[in-house]
Amino acid sequence: MTADLVVTISGSALLILGAFIIASAAIGLIKLPDLYTRTSAIGTAAGLGVALIIVGVVVLDFSPLNVVKGVIAIAAQLLTSSIGSFALARSGYLTGSRPVATTIPDELAASTASPRDRLIDDDESFGDDSATS
Amino acid sequence: MIPTVVAAIVIGLLAIAVVLAVVRIVRGPTAGDTAVAGDLIFFAFIGIVAVFGLTFSIDAVIDIILIAAILGFLSILSLARLLQGGQR
Repeated sequence: MTADLVVTISGSALLILGAFIIASAAIGLIKLPDLYTRTSAIGTAAGLGVALIIVGVVVLDFSPLNVVKGVIAIAAQLLTSSIGSFALARSGYLTGSRPVATTIPDELAASTASPRDRLIDDDESFGDDSATS
Repeated sequence: MIPTVVAAIVIGLLAIAVVLAVVRIVRGPTAGDTAVAGDLIFFAFIGIVAVFGLTFSIDAVIDIILIAAILGFLSILSLARLLQGGQR
């Protein structure tokens, strides 16, 4: 009976913590100033939040097969959420999404036409062909 | 089985996240912001499915989460490809 209570409380705490991390990522999606900081918030916080929710599900619905499935799901989530964020931020950069002045490390600027240069001429349309390498 | 108040708290937090992401989709200046918000809605959907499966004692909930975690990044990769008009 006591062990059952401990399992319920710890699994519920993991579920609530994961949902809180996803909600804080959503607040960052509203408050942060440009596409790159928003992508960073979603890619890290949502990956961690989904991983905590998976741990909570495995704790509440425990069996050895569920442990194996949960470990595979957490590994896949942590590997692929970063890949998705990277690809989305890169394509946003290549199609001319403008960073704010405080988004400073700009390593793609040496190899492509930077959206930072477009701060000067404002009449360029979104998504034209001159930005793609 | 989980207590009802825990399910209500988790679904409430995830619903707040989905509403804020929809606000970003409506207001977002570029298509990239819309794609990021759609990614967050997908992650919140995984959590909502997990809580519903635990509440109603559905055995396949861990399988649904596994497939969503493995294949979910394909949607954001295809959106990133779509932003550039099919080019790399």
